[in-house]
Amino acid sequence: MFGFFKKKGAEQKEKQGKLFVDRGILVFENTSEVIQAENILKKTGWPVRVMGPPPEIQRGCDLVIEFPLIEELNILRELQNAKIPPLEVVPVTAPLLKPVDLFHTKDFGAYLMVRAANMKITIAKEGLKIVNISGGGCPDVPYLAYQMVGRTLEETPSPKDLGHTLCGYALQLAYEELRRIC
Amino acid sequence: MSTTVDARGLSCPQPVILALDEIKKGKDKDIIVLVDTDTSKENVMRAATSQGYRINAVTPESEGYRIQIIKS
Repeated sequence: MFGFFKKKGAEQKEKQGKLFVDRGILVFENTSEVIQAENILKKTGWPVRVMGPPPEIQRGCDLVIEFPLIEELNILRELQNAKIPPLEVVPVTAPLLKPVDLFHTKDFGAYLMVRAANMKITIAKEGLKIVNISGGGCPDVPYLAYQMVGRTLEETPSPKDLGHTLCGYALQLAYEELRRIC
Repeated sequence: MSTTVDARGLSCPQPVILALDEIKKGKDKDIIVLVDTDTSKENVMRAATSQGYRINAVTPESEGYRIQIIKS
């Protein structure tokens, strides 16, 4: 009898595991909707992640949100209430539907660069001082660079507190990734 | 005596890295950095200033800019 429960429990666990890894992506019209949706969903406590769109998705902008598929209805309701419904909801079922990692890391020996979408941060490995901020093309990039270059990852103000554009948002992602790595 | 760093044709952040490598060597107080884009010019100037160097001159050239930085 105990064997039966054990087997049943293992099946349940396996099922839960499978449900947990089933993911979907939300495709939006533009990046500002992605940023708004991410804020709302994170505040509500769902484990969502901003990623690059998979090659097969032709609609929407350069960013998508990955979410646990089991929460699809709840998440869509939340987004409908916030008046930012996604253009498309796609279950990740095939390799070409997998969202792409937004980060690209390049090692330059004494320096390390992380790029997120269109923004790059480069730091000196020794001392973790920011030596360069580049990319973007938004009007606040020179200001962001002025505030951050020459400071360590610990000292620098967070790009999300300084920037007001998509570049500031992408820089924040790169900054968080660097903080995670270093 | 000055050292010249030719960073033309390189994309970010390589011009900055080359300039910083030269600054780190500390051999010369006077360094010339050649770049070919406005972005590289701004980035090199910003990085040099953050390392205690001052921008002595920026001269437009046919293939970009010649930036002279001097240890303050």
